[in-house]
Amino acid sequence: MKRLQLQRWSSSVLSAQARTGGRLQHRLYTGIRHQSTASPAAPAANDQLLEEDLLASSIRPPTSRQSKYQLPSPPVEAARESAKLAALHARLYLPSRLPLETLARSLVDASADPNPKFNNESLATLGHDLLTHYTSEYLICTYPRLPLTVIFAAMYAYVGPKTLAAMAREWGVESAAAPGGEVDPGYLQFNRVLPGVDVHSKPVTGTARPHEDQTHWRKSITSSVVYDNEFGDPVKGPKDPSEQSKQDAQNTQGVTAEQANATFVRAVMGAIYLHAGRPAAKRFFEQHFLSRHLNISDLFNFSQPARDLARLCARENFEQPVARIISETGRKSRHPVFVVGIYSGQDKLGEGAGASLLEARSRAAVAALKGWYLYSPLNVRVPSSMEEEGAAPWKPVHVDLGEVIV
Amino acid sequence: MRPSVRLLSLDVQGASRTLYVCSVCRNEARPRPIVARQFLRHASNTPLSERVRRRLWGTDNPPGLKDPYGESLLEKRFGKAKAQPEGETEVVNAAEAAPEAEAIDQLEPGVDYEPATTWDGLERVGHLGGWKNVPRAEADRVGTFGLKKKLRKQGPLFLAAHQAAVEICLMHALNKPLTSVCNVTEHDKAVFKMIWKTKIVPNEAGSWGSALEYHNKQAKEALVYIFEQIGGSQPEAVEQQQAAEETAEVEEFEEAAWEGEEEETSKVPFFGYQDARDKGFLTLSLEDQETKFAFLKRFSQLSGHFFPDNIVHQITTVKQAIDYVQGQLNPKPKKLAEILEHNDRLQSLPNIKVFSKRQTRLHRDDEMGRRKIIEAELRSRGLLA
Repeated sequence: MKRLQLQRWSSSVLSAQARTGGRLQHRLYTGIRHQSTASPAAPAANDQLLEEDLLASSIRPPTSRQSKYQLPSPPVEAARESAKLAALHARLYLPSRLPLETLARSLVDASADPNPKFNNESLATLGHDLLTHYTSEYLICTYPRLPLTVIFAAMYAYVGPKTLAAMAREWGVESAAAPGGEVDPGYLQFNRVLPGVDVHSKPVTGTARPHEDQTHWRKSITSSVVYDNEFGDPVKGPKDPSEQSKQDAQNTQGVTAEQANATFVRAVMGAIYLHAGRPAAKRFFEQHFLSRHLNISDLFNFSQPARDLARLCARENFEQPVARIISETGRKSRHPVFVVGIYSGQDKLGEGAGASLLEARSRAAVAALKGWYLYSPLNVRVPSSMEEEGAAPWKPVHVDLGEVIV
Repeated sequence: MRPSVRLLSLDVQGASRTLYVCSVCRNEARPRPIVARQFLRHASNTPLSERVRRRLWGTDNPPGLKDPYGESLLEKRFGKAKAQPEGETEVVNAAEAAPEAEAIDQLEPGVDYEPATTWDGLERVGHLGGWKNVPRAEADRVGTFGLKKKLRKQGPLFLAAHQAAVEICLMHALNKPLTSVCNVTEHDKAVFKMIWKTKIVPNEAGSWGSALEYHNKQAKEALVYIFEQIGGSQPEAVEQQQAAEETAEVEEFEEAAWEGEEEETSKVPFFGYQDARDKGFLTLSLEDQETKFAFLKRFSQLSGHFFPDNIVHQITTVKQAIDYVQGQLNPKPKKLAEILEHNDRLQSLPNIKVFSKRQTRLHRDDEMGRRKIIEAELRSRGLLA
């Protein structure tokens, strides 16, 4: 597989304003409120963009203080003057090819500036796709036997909105009180949800799942691979234009700080990918996301581990698991301890200690199941590593059948 | 018991009524000799208080009242009947009266003094609150010595320094008092033109008297004549002679200058001349204290700048005086913000922003976008216009 010449591609995608160099163009374009990368989210609306271009050319550069107040987000040239933005750029050790203007743009939420040329929505879409792609391939290749629920939980733990918001907080990104042209571009800008609004009031409707209204029907975990999002949560289906406008209206109502922070982190990821290329984006992902410690064995939740283990052994053509006491102490005392091992034939699958024989047995079964599910091959390679220069020929990774279906 | 006291008690012993009394008790119990009688025996005719006064003052004629405390009890008892000798009283009276008479003679030569009982008819001192009704007197007018408005540009400053230098040189050459040039605030245009055309060529000796190089001989004669007048006589006389010598306009102008200062300030300084013709005066030495004082006095009169003592001490040439006026001798210390603003290292750092003004909470509110919300809320409550 040949490496894509992404830098060339991105430079053709980027407009003059967003590129690092190009002083002449910089001067030429300062009059126009125009910094946008071609939005990957809405590539079709070309005629609309043209219209907006015409509209934008009529906007004068914001020279006076008063005109700054009329802009929904800080002007492009303010990014060079912001010390906060430069500090954030340096703190995140971002590549120098990522200009401050784009970093400033990634800090403007769609609720602050509905114009897709100036908000971070497109960057965030790209970043979100990259993050979930990298995380899911890492999880599946590293732990090929993980149950799907655990994969969903691990995905949420790695790149879920709560984690991203926590990361933005750790990066030292502060949020502005209200968006506006006079705001320092180093602040995260979004329209806040009005106080008193219940964010999680109603369940998500309008998903692509058939028979959505049948709430008492069982939803299989496998179906959520198809119908739900990366975290197994229900997601809105493909939108028609009327719903799009409805969503825009919702955007103007405001978003929570958590959502805005998560969008910012995704947008940074997308911006790095666009400006510095895939290796830099992957490095950024490894340094900031994979480096976070996540104990996957805590994500399991077995209701009947002994039964699951019996099923698993039957599926894998092992001998039926047998629980045997390995040792015990204080059986007649107040605090007895039993150590139980689960054996399949001569092989001990797992071992557990408990205050009763049943507890010890189920702990041993959990240990055996975790030992099975958390298998991780040595020298893991993920599919995206094939994009590197001079990559070794791809050997298909082993992906297990998955969880035991009882 | 002291021997003297014991001696005192000797004569009383015979009169003792009790036979067996210890010596201490006897001394206590014995009838006291009357003290007044003791000094009555040696007393002169002068009363006791008078003698005390004499003793205190150390003279026979102590100052002050003769009897400041009134008659004492003792005097009432013993000395009342005695009349004072006539001669002594006269002497004392004469001695006391002499300065009083002199004082009266000095204060009131002809009229006899009669103390006032009411304030009617007394001379009034001060305004007693009605000062604003009093018309403006000549003494109320305050004129500045120098210009009201300081000269700032280099050309006028050079003109002033050149004029002052030429005048001091002339006074040196004429051996006249140097500071008398300050008596004439402004010359006539013709005189100024002659001064302007005069060149100064400093010589090695540094003498001011021989440094002048005149435009022509007539100018030299005229200037010498004018400045002889200035140096030799009172300023009024100078003006009169000047008027007689040149035109009557000069005096009119001088009078106008004294009458209304507004007209003077509205006039074009130095008759529209923009810069000095030659720069030779800049190297003139101000080592001589008298010359330096005279030059700086005239220069500060013409330029409106004041020279503090430490600067006067530092200045050694005319150029230094001009440098000081232009703020080059001791430039104003720069503000830290200015230094930081022009620091290239700080300017090159993108994550540092140097503000020339103090950043307040208002600025922070503004850059966080909070200010417009606050202002809108204040407006909606009618607290902000």
